[in-house]
Amino acid sequence: MLESFRQLDRILRGEATQLSKLRHGQIELPVRGLLIAATVLAMVYGVFMGSFAVIRTGGAGEAWMQLLASVVKLPLLFFLTLLVTLPSLYVFNALVGSRLTMQSVARLLVAMLGVMLAVLASLGPIVAFFGVSTTSYVFMKLLNVAMAAVAGFLGLAFLVQTLHRLVMAQNPAPETPETPESPEPPKPPELPASMPPPPPHQAYSAAVTSEDAMIDRRAKLVFRIWVVVFGLVGAQMSWVLRPFIGSPEIPFTWFRARESNFFLDVMQSLGQLLGA
Amino acid sequence: MVRALAYPGELLRGRAWWVEGGETRVRIGQLCAMLILFGLAYGAVMGAFGGFTGDRIWQVWYSALKVPLLLLCTFALSIPSFFVINSLYGLRDDFTRVMRALIATQAGLTVILASLAPLTVLWYLSFPHYNLAILFNGLMFGGASLGAQVLLQRFYRPLIARNHRHRMLLRAWLMIYAFVGIQMGWVLRPFVGTPDAPVQFFREGAWGNGYVELFGIIARVLTG
Repeated sequence: MLESFRQLDRILRGEATQLSKLRHGQIELPVRGLLIAATVLAMVYGVFMGSFAVIRTGGAGEAWMQLLASVVKLPLLFFLTLLVTLPSLYVFNALVGSRLTMQSVARLLVAMLGVMLAVLASLGPIVAFFGVSTTSYVFMKLLNVAMAAVAGFLGLAFLVQTLHRLVMAQNPAPETPETPESPEPPKPPELPASMPPPPPHQAYSAAVTSEDAMIDRRAKLVFRIWVVVFGLVGAQMSWVLRPFIGSPEIPFTWFRARESNFFLDVMQSLGQLLGA
Repeated sequence: MVRALAYPGELLRGRAWWVEGGETRVRIGQLCAMLILFGLAYGAVMGAFGGFTGDRIWQVWYSALKVPLLLLCTFALSIPSFFVINSLYGLRDDFTRVMRALIATQAGLTVILASLAPLTVLWYLSFPHYNLAILFNGLMFGGASLGAQVLLQRFYRPLIARNHRHRMLLRAWLMIYAFVGIQMGWVLRPFVGTPDAPVQFFREGAWGNGYVELFGIIARVLTG
């Protein structure tokens, strides 16, 4: 258990996805440990999320059921989203000329899930604090959406960065294989918002054949598009699996009827909050 | 006494820690004590609006407790996510320094607040209106926050020099901290205590959401 969190920590700190470790297009990640850590973190956030129902009703029986449902459904939400989007990532990935195996792609996605859930769980105390001090269901709904968006953004940034590095590792510039790797200090994970592309490639950019550069650019574009797909799928998945928070007006059910969609509801909630 | 006051002075000049034999020494305990002490002082002054007679003395105590509580609770709730985000951006090794800078900044904030306390006293003595008292306190907190900003930038400068990503994360911190802090302030009301209502630690019905109220006000203004 502790070991699996240590593994997750290595990913968070970027040790596990350094360029030198990805040289041969292989990702060595302990999938089982990561899955355990991700599940636990998702459940922790589920507790924070479901606690609003318990606090609001003063601990009625149904509210505890809602808490339980949130704890169970939150890992489900993330794993199902992963399942739905895994094939398309593999295909896109192959399209841009990367030789990653299905297994590697799956590993990478599990790592991303770990990053996302670590961020989400760390935002949990804030959600719980607002849950304690707020009676507005609409506000809680939007707050949770915002928190998930933050976590999702950071997780996907990690994914795009690592994928990009993997493509680079597989299509190295002519000089790079000869240069020894040791003088290169361990690189922390660089996220797109803050960074120019990682140095080794850039350093040799003059020597890179135009074909490599093309692959590089195309890969980036394709991954960015895929990330949007992932976000949309995740959002709608959360709608399909609702309720997570538990509306005060509707009695508890494990699932709700098929109606409306995530985006419509967020817009409506925003309108409600602004009193329109 | 003079020595005890010398440290806050050093802090305001941006020297919250020093290097001794190659090791950085910092009095985290002293920083926290300073935060609590000066926070209590300003809070007590803040709560003195209704005077000291009878029940009113309790408001002084409550308000005194609430200022350090406000800062410490906000800090405790915000730090986990900041820790994870720092790790993700490859800045874990700097995190002890980051923590030090953040705690020192909050201690500095209370020192600045306490230095403004005499102004608040004068204001209370001159204008006995409750709403004006709240407004003035808001102003004092705003001023102290600006001062603390300067301090925070000073503490963060070496960190940013080490890695420019700290600059972006500092903005992220301010966003998280303000988001939680505003609601914390709302929950912990009343800080001043209206003389018309009985003294209480938490205001009845105050257990609401500052943001929801704010949205409501905006909506009412917009829709007329």
